[in-house]
Amino acid sequence: MTVAEKKHRIIEPDSLIGKRIPKMDAPDKASGRTRYIHDIDLPGQLHGKILRSARIHALIKSIDTSAAKALPGVHVVITAADIPDQRPIGVAKDHFPLKVGRVRSERDEIAAVAAESEEIAEAALKLIKVEYEDLPVIGNPEDSIKPDAVLIHPEPHGADGTHLHLKQGTSIAHRGKADNVAMRFDYAHGDVVQGEAESDAVVEDTFKLHYVTHCCMGVSGMIAEFDAAGNVQMYSNTQVPFLHKREFAEYLNIDPARIRIIQPPIGGGFGSKLDIYPFEVICLYLARAAKRPVKMLFTREEEFLASPTRQPVLLTLRSGCKKDGTLTFRTVHTLHDNGAYTSWGATTPFVMMQTFSSLYRVPHCDYHTAAVYTNNPYAGSFRGYGNLQATFAIEQHMDMLAAKIGMDPLEFRMKNAQDAGEVTGQGMSFKSCGFKECITTAASRSDFARKFAENQANQKKPGNIKRGIGMASMLHVGGGAKIYPSDGCGTILKMDDFANVTLITGASEIGQGSETVLSQLVCEELGLPISAITVVNNDTAITPWDVGVHASRTTFIAGNSAIGAAKKAKGKILAVAAKKFDCTEADLDLRGGFVIRAASGEALVELSKLLRNLHFQEKAELVMTTFYYEPPSVHQDKGFKGDVSAAYAWGNQVVEIEVDTDTGFIRLLKVTGAHDVGRVLNRLGIEGQIEGGVVMGQGYAFTEDLMIEDGKMKNPNFRDYKLVTAPEIPEMDIAFIESMDGEGPQGAKGVGEAPSICMAAAAANAIANATGTRMFELPFTPEKVYRALHGQTPKRYWKPWKAE
Amino acid sequence: MTELKRYYAPTSLDQAVECLKGGNVTILAGGTDLTPQSQAGRIKFRETLMNIRHIPQMSGITLEGKEIRIGALATITEIMEHPLVREHLPALVEACDHFASDQIRNAGTIGGNICNASPAGDTLVPLLVLDACVELASMPETKLYRHCMPISTFFTGSGKTRKSLCELVTGVRIPVPAAGHVSRFYKHGTRPALDISTISIGVAGNLKDGVLSNVRVAFGAVAPTPLRATATESALEGRHLDAATIEAAAVAARDEVNPIDDVRATAWYRKEMIHNMTKRMLENVAQA
Ligand SMILES: Cc1cc2nc3c(=O)[nH]c(=O)nc-3n(C[C@H](O)[C@H](O)[C@H](O)COP(=O)(O)OP(=O)(O)OC[C@H]3O[C@@H](n4cnc5c(N)ncnc54)[C@H](O)[C@@H]3O)c2cc1C
Repeated sequence: MTVAEKKHRIIEPDSLIGKRIPKMDAPDKASGRTRYIHDIDLPGQLHGKILRSARIHALIKSIDTSAAKALPGVHVVITAADIPDQRPIGVAKDHFPLKVGRVRSERDEIAAVAAESEEIAEAALKLIKVEYEDLPVIGNPEDSIKPDAVLIHPEPHGADGTHLHLKQGTSIAHRGKADNVAMRFDYAHGDVVQGEAESDAVVEDTFKLHYVTHCCMGVSGMIAEFDAAGNVQMYSNTQVPFLHKREFAEYLNIDPARIRIIQPPIGGGFGSKLDIYPFEVICLYLARAAKRPVKMLFTREEEFLASPTRQPVLLTLRSGCKKDGTLTFRTVHTLHDNGAYTSWGATTPFVMMQTFSSLYRVPHCDYHTAAVYTNNPYAGSFRGYGNLQATFAIEQHMDMLAAKIGMDPLEFRMKNAQDAGEVTGQGMSFKSCGFKECITTAASRSDFARKFAENQANQKKPGNIKRGIGMASMLHVGGGAKIYPSDGCGTILKMDDFANVTLITGASEIGQGSETVLSQLVCEELGLPISAITVVNNDTAITPWDVGVHASRTTFIAGNSAIGAAKKAKGKILAVAAKKFDCTEADLDLRGGFVIRAASGEALVELSKLLRNLHFQEKAELVMTTFYYEPPSVHQDKGFKGDVSAAYAWGNQVVEIEVDTDTGFIRLLKVTGAHDVGRVLNRLGIEGQIEGGVVMGQGYAFTEDLMIEDGKMKNPNFRDYKLVTAPEIPEMDIAFIESMDGEGPQGAKGVGEAPSICMAAAAANAIANATGTRMFELPFTPEKVYRALHGQTPKRYWKPWKAE
Repeated sequence: MTELKRYYAPTSLDQAVECLKGGNVTILAGGTDLTPQSQAGRIKFRETLMNIRHIPQMSGITLEGKEIRIGALATITEIMEHPLVREHLPALVEACDHFASDQIRNAGTIGGNICNASPAGDTLVPLLVLDACVELASMPETKLYRHCMPISTFFTGSGKTRKSLCELVTGVRIPVPAAGHVSRFYKHGTRPALDISTISIGVAGNLKDGVLSNVRVAFGAVAPTPLRATATESALEGRHLDAATIEAAAVAARDEVNPIDDVRATAWYRKEMIHNMTKRMLENVAQA
């Protein structure tokens, strides 16, 4: 290029927003190059294994580890007795990593071994002798609240009946709990008695939601290492490194500053890595005792047995409306099966009550949850966080109420749907809201009204194949959720001499595509191609603070943070350029790797050249910026009221099915979805997110079922725990409603959880449309459907119960 | 950590059966049952692990007189794609088509499916209705001894057969069906691939002028072994396949099975499906 040509080079405006950008980690993952935790081995590393309980609920009378300790190749064997400073973990601090005197569920950790190989560690576990004394098992939450129920967390006593000498503490793990209620939530707005008095139609039903689990392709694992000074380095798959850094420090009784967490590429999270689990703390104990790095990896069976689940729920909902279709009230009681210990599953009411109070306009709402202890697996957080369960109940009642007053289900929803500008009874303020457009778009693209009427007319006609169509809507946080003191995220951005950017973000990548979308936002600001950026996002010693990957928040919060840092860099660059070209900053812009004249697009100087000039001059400078974004949301008050998110995501999905009434088989034919995503940033990424979410919702609705009988898991394997397989995935037609949120990065909202929420509810409505039979319990496996169709499913009624 | 001491890969049938004489041998074919079973600790390897995949007499699918011989080492994929099988044994093709996944079908053999003797083994039900015989080989003294046993008498319990530890299954023989012969197979699983049968049904017979004769009906996953359904067969034998006959046969089918509850289904549902799907298959045969 000659100098003359260069002078007149015009760079046309271009944008990365809305484009289809392949995920940055895709080539490595597709070609098997990604190094997961499974592929990392440290010099001198030992292998850790855990001995789990052979009983569901029992006292531990004695543990004999002598033979295991004597096995050649074994370095350390530990039990609770070896860790006198053991601290309880979990949301309610009711859980010692190594069990003290008592086991309460099938997966309970009794002892752990660190040995030179996995095989030796396994062999050592077999040499550990444990004597138990069985206790009665509580296998379901209804039994747990009976007056004579055995206590799951009584005041700790030793095997001989004397008080156990636990290090002093006030937690449930130390003191016990005098009843089986782990947590309770009570929320109300309006007056449901008045609401019911104003109602022309009222329905009440009990819904039962089952156990499912995340099934991350990468099983859980961790490597822990202490250096000579006692500092800890962990390779961990956590979704919340900064919160865990603090928590792990507490469990190890050391200063948080001494903990460094490195996250290798994570083989799936979906919420499962939001809490600290016993194996992680045990791995640290082993490493501390062995003075060697210890690696612990789950087997697939262990992944099933010892991972958290989605929260199972028993729910009785009473809803009413007027003849004209106006909703009047909702009364909700749920019984959450807390399992033996408390993790995030118990707190799903935070999200569930939002759906009950605010998805549609409801003047009166009364909500109660009791999460009660049983000897079952315990539930953690899982994409959707209670919303799948709440939506399952609400959206069936929407169809049932509509039918009762003879109104079209579509019209009924539209009549009660929220609009922009609304502030709900719970204090959520909808600044942008494409809800109604979601409903009408999904309905028209799927030809809902016509098919709904046709299928209904077909119900009684001969033939064993029945078609059904059903819809469900959703509301979920889309701009973070202010649960912790800060819901923010920090960014450090640096530019090198070649105009390459390193984006150092607190936001963790768990496969969701955050590094790609954050890169896109930064490159959009700086007028650079996506190839010009490197993302560093996995080391607490380097990256600035972030609250973690949850609540569909990363694109929104980390996105705004990244944009903030990029804007500061741009400001600095333009200031330098304005001086150089003797104009104002407003006259200039960055585009295609150049500083350009904003009005004409004329390229003035290559950005890399400008940066080098800045660097290699007398008053040398680099472009390095930082930004911390805190969303303008607020904490809820004691009554759970307040505008917790900076934006809210909306959606509606229509499910079409074919039911074979001779077998109960359901073929999922098509899913039509319309989602208010604020704005599409990476089209490829958002399509993947929605499609993946639909399939996850499909599994929840139709195939996945973690079978627990009296605390025992019946199917901890992929043969009998049925994930959806490729040929079962339906045709999908997904529309994006761009409501351009004022606070969102480039107008976008979070949508990570949204797509999995509607499926089960819409499927239930489709079954009713196809067959006239309502199903109140998941999953819709062939036998369950067949039973329901043939009158073999007694209608369940759980009498609302409120904890004292 | 296993008692396995020796790996042996014979290249002839004589070598293989000679090795089996001692009896302390685990036979490996495709390994698709053996590997998961040993990994889960459900079986222990014996002293010798004998890989039989290099024995030429045990592979191939051929027409021998009035019989189709399928070598024990024939994989599910080979069987499914073979022209002889496709022409004469549609029920077996159907079973192979719903068997596991491509990867497993490429490795798993029919001999392994027979010897594993699972009540849900998918080729077993069609083999039963096709009157197959199991070929066995052993070396009682110093000479190779071969004989055949009807598959209907081969299974004695879940995972148990009449084959002794010193015997090798070398293949199966199936009479070439006469003209007018019909055969059907149905597998009830909850997904299109990679599922173990909740129940399975095989139906065969000669259909002439709407009358079914020489009827064979067999069920899988409703008893400790795959089994012939004799009451159902009698309800059909020599009768006109009309609605009444079909319903009577479906009821007989439901009444003669005695399945269990497990993670895949309850006994009640299994009996319902035996009824409903036997009926559907017979209606389909009647329309053929
Ligand atoms: C993921 C998965 C899915 C599956 N799905 C199905 C399914 O849908 N339907 C179904 O029926 N099965 C299924 N199976 C089971 C298995 O694939 C079949 O039973 C297969 O036919 C076994 O053949 P193989 O050659 O792999 O047997 P192997 O595992 O090699 O052997 C099985 C048993 O038979 C013995 N044996 C093998 N060959 C001989 C012989 N010639 N003589 C004497 N003994 C012998 C072995 O010692 C062993 O005990 C599945 C397995 C897996 C892992």
